[in-house]
Amino acid sequence: MLVDILIDGLIKGSVYALLAIGFSLVLGVARIINIAHTALYMTSAYLIYVGTKIMGLPAILCMVTAIFLTILLGLLIYNFFIRPIQEHEAAMLISTIAVGMMLQEVFLMIFGGHYLGVEPLIGGYATIMGVRVTNQHLLALGLAIIVLVSVRFFLMKTRTGLAIRSTANDREVANLMGMNVTGVAFVTMAVSVGLASIAGAIVVPLVTVEPTMWMHPLIMMLAIVVLGGLGSIEGSFVGAYILGFAESLVVFLLPNGSFLKDAVALTIMILVLLVRPEGLFGVSFEEER
Amino acid sequence: MLLEVSNLTVCYDRAVLINDVSLNVDEGELVSLVGPNGAGKTTVLRAITGLVAWDKMTLKGTSQGDITLKGKVMFNGKDISKTPAHQIVKMGLVHCPERRRPFKELTVKENLMAGAFLHMKKADLQDELDKVFKLFPVLGDRLNQVSGTLSGGEQQMLAVGRALMSRPKLLLIDEPSTGLAPLMRQEVFNKIAEIRSLGITIMLVEQEVASVFGMASRSYVLSTGKIIAQGACDALLEDEMIRKTYLGL
Repeated sequence: MLVDILIDGLIKGSVYALLAIGFSLVLGVARIINIAHTALYMTSAYLIYVGTKIMGLPAILCMVTAIFLTILLGLLIYNFFIRPIQEHEAAMLISTIAVGMMLQEVFLMIFGGHYLGVEPLIGGYATIMGVRVTNQHLLALGLAIIVLVSVRFFLMKTRTGLAIRSTANDREVANLMGMNVTGVAFVTMAVSVGLASIAGAIVVPLVTVEPTMWMHPLIMMLAIVVLGGLGSIEGSFVGAYILGFAESLVVFLLPNGSFLKDAVALTIMILVLLVRPEGLFGVSFEEER
Repeated sequence: MLLEVSNLTVCYDRAVLINDVSLNVDEGELVSLVGPNGAGKTTVLRAITGLVAWDKMTLKGTSQGDITLKGKVMFNGKDISKTPAHQIVKMGLVHCPERRRPFKELTVKENLMAGAFLHMKKADLQDELDKVFKLFPVLGDRLNQVSGTLSGGEQQMLAVGRALMSRPKLLLIDEPSTGLAPLMRQEVFNKIAEIRSLGITIMLVEQEVASVFGMASRSYVLSTGKIIAQGACDALLEDEMIRKTYLGL
């Protein structure tokens, strides 16, 4: 039981971390609250389903193509549906909700509301401290951690990462350093959608693919981002594991109560906010004008 | 002329912030732009380095209203009135903004690297860093400290250091003394004089007229968006009306 919870919590936490970090990046750099973020995660899952089950292509090829296509779709959405109204906060928020719903309806029309599934990339299972864990779960965990480490390296050690972090801190001053803020926003969007689609590709063998599969991760992701502190990458990371483990605990300890997982996540979020309104790693957005 | 601004007019919606301002800065000079609060000094700098145009682009169609930007800005013989802010830096016109505005969550080192963003691959990056550390030893001591935790004076040093990392031909410094203790102010002005002696042309915006006039060769006096006086600092001080009304001396 303990090992189950540990492994499951780690996987959930890592996947939520991938989603929440991507969301936070775009929020920080371009002040975009991208509700369609997890709809893009769903898009990647559907694309992999199409590739492997309908077209019968090799799984690895499907994953790479799905990630690439989802990033492309994300950039198109950003350019046409978000960027023109980026500074109108309410309009931008409504626009991203609309895009999310649109993707959901498109998948509903094409695939119906069926529960679809994708074969695991690798079969078999390993035994850890007497508990059977499928190799696919371990692979998912490994991949998620590799990606998280790479993102950290990218943000902390590369020139582009520096531009992203500077822009998130103060967009206007970033201009004065010679950073092309529009370009930085595009790169950030690509990284963000990339993380969402990687998350989708990693978990697709572990979850059911259906048109509302983006809702639960969306709620968790928003709770994580608020819990961790808006715009804080560290906060998103820590918050993701807190809520990931909380969710596993609920699912494993209350076998009949797994419908409570969203409620528990949101309760934790509210409790933390009552004590620390700015979230765990609160960032005060610099007043820009 | 290194910088030549002619007939600059800036309106945010219907408010005229800058009205027909012309000024110039020659190579090697330290020119100051002084004037009371709300005169438009910061807006002049923002218009020169493309930030007003950036506002105009990003705020288009929002409740902030329309921004009008007219006039011509020549830098180093090139018209930069239409050049976006991030490309102006490349030409060597560097703006050290009001209220210092370091990237607060980044460390001192990362802030300086952000300043060197356009010069990251050059071989003499370390030499430039060493130059900044020599000028501001405190930055060298605090290399890995998050800049939001620095004192006001240290943040000002960092802001100037970061601007130097962008390799300015002309450095525009906006109100470096604001919010600093008198001793620290003097320190900051001393550093600015030192930077000038390194051969960097400076345009200094300040309210602290007494200190600035001691350093600057020429000055412009701005009031409600217009240049109401200009010339050698000594001559400006001799004009009783200007001295009392606008310089508060």
